[in-house]
Amino acid sequence: MSDPSFGIHGKILEIDLSAGYVRVRPLDPSLTADYLGGRGLATRLFYEAVDPASDPLGAENVVVLAPSPLIGTSAPTAARGHMVFKSPLTGFLGTSNSGGGWAWSFKATGYDALVVKGRASSPVWIDITPEKVDVLPAGRMWGKDIHALTDELTTGFEPAARPRVLGIGPAGENLVRFAAVANDRNRVYGRCGPGAVWGAKNLKAVRAAGRMKTRVHDKERYQSGYEQAMHLIRQAPVTKRLLREMGTAGLVELINVIGMLPGRNFQDCTHRDEDLEAVSGETIAKTILERAAGCYLCPIGCQRHTRVGGKGEQAEAGEGPEYETVVLMGPVCDIYDLEAITRANYRANELGLDTISFGSTVACAMELAERGLIPPAELAGLELRFGRAAVLERLAVETAFRRGAGALLADGSFRLAERYGRPDLSMSVKRLEIPAYDPRASFTQALGYMTSPSGACHLRGGYAVSLAFFGGWKEIPRFSLLQSPIAIRNMQNHGILQDSLGVCRFTGYAFGSEPWSRMLAGATGLDFSVARLEEISNRVAALERLFNLEAGAGKLDDALPPRFAETPIIVAGEERAVSVEIQERMRRDYYEVRGWDAEGRPRPDLLGRLRIAGRRP
Amino acid sequence: MVVKVKFFSAFREVFGTRERDYVIPDGARARALIEAMADQPERRAALLRGSNLHPHLVLLVGGEALSSRGGLEAELRDGDVLAVFPMLGGG
Ligand code: SF4
Repeated sequence: MSDPSFGIHGKILEIDLSAGYVRVRPLDPSLTADYLGGRGLATRLFYEAVDPASDPLGAENVVVLAPSPLIGTSAPTAARGHMVFKSPLTGFLGTSNSGGGWAWSFKATGYDALVVKGRASSPVWIDITPEKVDVLPAGRMWGKDIHALTDELTTGFEPAARPRVLGIGPAGENLVRFAAVANDRNRVYGRCGPGAVWGAKNLKAVRAAGRMKTRVHDKERYQSGYEQAMHLIRQAPVTKRLLREMGTAGLVELINVIGMLPGRNFQDCTHRDEDLEAVSGETIAKTILERAAGCYLCPIGCQRHTRVGGKGEQAEAGEGPEYETVVLMGPVCDIYDLEAITRANYRANELGLDTISFGSTVACAMELAERGLIPPAELAGLELRFGRAAVLERLAVETAFRRGAGALLADGSFRLAERYGRPDLSMSVKRLEIPAYDPRASFTQALGYMTSPSGACHLRGGYAVSLAFFGGWKEIPRFSLLQSPIAIRNMQNHGILQDSLGVCRFTGYAFGSEPWSRMLAGATGLDFSVARLEEISNRVAALERLFNLEAGAGKLDDALPPRFAETPIIVAGEERAVSVEIQERMRRDYYEVRGWDAEGRPRPDLLGRLRIAGRRP
Repeated sequence: MVVKVKFFSAFREVFGTRERDYVIPDGARARALIEAMADQPERRAALLRGSNLHPHLVLLVGGEALSSRGGLEAELRDGDVLAVFPMLGGG
């Protein structure tokens, strides 16, 4: 048996905000072997701690944050944290990942996971160092935006000792159901509404500062994986330079050419070339980009640091927009105004809103308003219709504060559309808004949205575009019913691995599991063969599914909104929709590939093989 | 027959235009179009590596991957539109 302290510290920090206790408990080393860290470990600790029936905005909800065994080593991009909670937007598993250095700093305080339970009676923040953990009053911070909060908690330190802050803005405080939690100012745990869970717990921020090292067991083995990874990152054009040059919005025109770029609340996918060019990655690079940068420890560097408004009074600088933000706040709202999108993005960063859910909810409201379903009086004087770029920034602010028309948007598109009698006009799966790839343009992507444990998310559900179009020799046709279930399972599993290692999705443009396997085995001294890693991903997927089933999900929650079955779009000259029958067939085959029964329940023999004991049969 | 080619990103500089019509023999395959496009060393280098397509290209015909229609051996039709992108990534 190897020394369990390699790669990990062997400690979990647990804080109960109701009971007011802080406790340190040992991390069972078998959990590292079976779940790694990040998403895997956080899911496991969450599953143990939470009642699946709990109110996501109640004291019973539990938040788990975990770095990984690779965090603290030099592994490329290995600074990302993963957060798991019950989502106030979906009612199911909330699972969200972020770049930024907080997870690195937290691990350097000597812990492998943070578990937060309960609810403080008044606003608090948590200060973590290797020496002590304090829960402190946050009354004077309440109401501050994320940038001001970060400034307040990080000033007065030498640069080398500067702590990192993870916190919420007004959107989280006001329980906006798609509020984000941010670190390093603009890096967010965006999806599924973690900010609202923090707000409900009266938790404003967690600051971490430490210098504890992650011990590497077999340096040579680690180094061989590291060098292989860095070599491939420097070779592959996407990771070597294209993401840095063009950002993720470099995709805008390509996704349009393949007929997959949604417009007008997913009513169609048709745009004028010149409109899209105005919001393309190239235009961003030529007009508003000041510099590209990377998240902490990232050699790829897709971040956009931008400036809008020229030199006058209206000038401001900030971060973004990236692809999802451009499309959801842009064409999905029939808006092609880069400056308006960018300013709204800045507000979302400061106030703490998920830009995907926000943009889609605005689009949903626009469609409801155009159809005359929202009485104008309820819009507080706002003229809401597609194409009105002027509303974006105002709505971002009003949503974060639940003011004016923003009060209608703050619970997400599903609750909004339901309120006006048309839940079918919410473009969401499990109430989580669909990202910027129309599922009618790829069966594989459709299945990814349907089966993602968190609702419609391309990062948890699988990203089909690269399979069909940037994969080179391994391209998988986008309308293959036969290949989609296996392809999406594989994509999802690789995503679980990356999220459990604390590394970025975009490393996948350079390499697969092999270099990670070597780095991980080198760091921990444990056997992490590629086959073993695959087993871990299957285990995490099964556990995520168990939680969702226990929280009330059924197979009908693994379905697209009716629009995608009923209203075809034209893709490469053909009408395409994802009929209910196609959904049914892909879902059935996917369950089969996963080892789940016809209702989507992991079969007992699978759970046995994966050594998972569910709460209920 | 006439095939329209739309250039994106850095290819706009390499080809000095955003789009251009190429006239190639009826029934020609993609190889003939690529040869017609590779009329300067810099353009050839951007499109081909030896006699194969450059691996860092994304070529789409009518919104589908050219590779799914047979790559250089794909049969083209009058009025086809070819889009030329660099290998992109994101998500
Ligand atoms: S590639 Fe982009 S998102 Fe990923 S870690 Fe680097 S900068 Fe962050």
